[in-house]
Amino acid sequence: MTFDYSGKVALVTGAGRGLGFAIVEAFLAAGATVILNDRTAAGVEQAIDRLGHRRVIPAPADLAAPGGAEEAAAPAIRLGRLDILVNNAAINIERSIEDTGEDHWDQHLAVILKAPLFTVQHVLPLLTRSQGTVINIASELGLHAIANNVAYVAAKHGLLAMTRAMAMELAPQRIRVNAVCPGTMDTELMQECARDSGDPDAYYRSFRTYHPLGRLATPQEIAQFVLCLASPAAAFMTGSAVAIDGGSTAGRR
Amino acid sequence: MMGRFAEKCVLVTGSTRGIGHASAQRFLEEGARVILHGRSAKSVADAVKAFGAEYGDRVSGFAADLAQRDQCRRLCSEAGEIDILVNCAGIYEEVAIESIDDAHWHRILDVNTTAPWLLAQGLLVSLRRRNGVIVNVGSDSGLLGYVNSTVYCASKGALIGLTRALAVELAPQVRVLCVCPGPVETDMLRDTMAAASDPEAVRQGWQSATLLGRIAAPKEIAAAIAFAASPDCGYATGNLIIVDGGATAGRRIV
Repeated sequence: MTFDYSGKVALVTGAGRGLGFAIVEAFLAAGATVILNDRTAAGVEQAIDRLGHRRVIPAPADLAAPGGAEEAAAPAIRLGRLDILVNNAAINIERSIEDTGEDHWDQHLAVILKAPLFTVQHVLPLLTRSQGTVINIASELGLHAIANNVAYVAAKHGLLAMTRAMAMELAPQRIRVNAVCPGTMDTELMQECARDSGDPDAYYRSFRTYHPLGRLATPQEIAQFVLCLASPAAAFMTGSAVAIDGGSTAGRR
Repeated sequence: MMGRFAEKCVLVTGSTRGIGHASAQRFLEEGARVILHGRSAKSVADAVKAFGAEYGDRVSGFAADLAQRDQCRRLCSEAGEIDILVNCAGIYEEVAIESIDDAHWHRILDVNTTAPWLLAQGLLVSLRRRNGVIVNVGSDSGLLGYVNSTVYCASKGALIGLTRALAVELAPQVRVLCVCPGPVETDMLRDTMAAASDPEAVRQGWQSATLLGRIAAPKEIAAAIAFAASPDCGYATGNLIIVDGGATAGRRIV
């Protein structure tokens, strides 16, 4: 599939690596100008170096910090244009219910749930002008739950509900708001978790088995779908939560 | 009607009025000991006195502002050993996306999402030991988007996620359910109507969002909450019990 995003501007949060980075790559390849957010200036710089691309604008901001969303939105406001906002930044640290502390809970809600809302709020005039679109990167864990992830599961469920509310409220301005719910992706984070588990093969095997299609997703295939969702091909979609999870929410074996 | 909840101890947050009050009534009618909760000491004392006239020492109560985490923790220790936690206290405010501020965000999220989490976590030991039940009072707003309710919808969506996450991890000792009402005839609804420029239009809007064409009575939701908490519902956990007059089921094209 190819999409033409020449002349369009996209802001992707949490794009230093993983899915966010893949989404940036895909938008750049399709001709867009991309505003790249990550938590630290160094992270943003590194990502831009890796991309080696002219049409990238840095937007370092810690979305969990007060004023973070405004900071992430600032380059788009200076540019005076935004067509696509991808709320991708997230945090996912496994904890049992007993071990989930207040800071852990607050961090997950701040990055996953609160930051997307305030980022949308800050770029709303731009999206209104461009009749733009918002894509919230949720998770299959916005649709069902697993153990040891209570804050993440709550926040991702909240993000899907928020997606529907925003879709309803912004429909008169013709701003589409949708969510994507990826299953497990083979990212750097996943590789680190596998290493930390002590038995990387078993770790990967358990996630492959978990998804009926028998493999993990690549960040690139999720990114391609994000481009599709932001494109005129999806012009009648708003308020949707699309599972791209290899069947993990479809049923049980 | 001594029955399903004899010997059980139930904490119902937000039970000085509305759905929580109707739920407390129902649990008392069916034999439970009920710990009432409200934000102000006076509202709790009044409710304890009113229920106490009929149910005597099966009724007690504590005041706590659930937006304050230390007060959530205090409520847990005051409640002591319980069998059933009903997270009913909630806040509803309508604000357009452009006008949402940090204070609005925290007023809603702290009470609707974080307090249920803190109470569930804080009361976990006794809930586990007693094969207890947690009933979260969600909303159809966790499933349907409503204009000017972005933060409320997010808070109730997150509460559904919390329900499922708790259920996965606490099974089989503790069942966790989420009862999702549509519009209910409560002070919360009346306050929202009173704040609107055309209250009757707001009422009409809510009525027509349902298939049944009317607003629920609090006791109709209380019945679902009591069912969720009872052995009659013993095979359900992590599930939603949607009692919304059909709002999420479909709509008429008008």
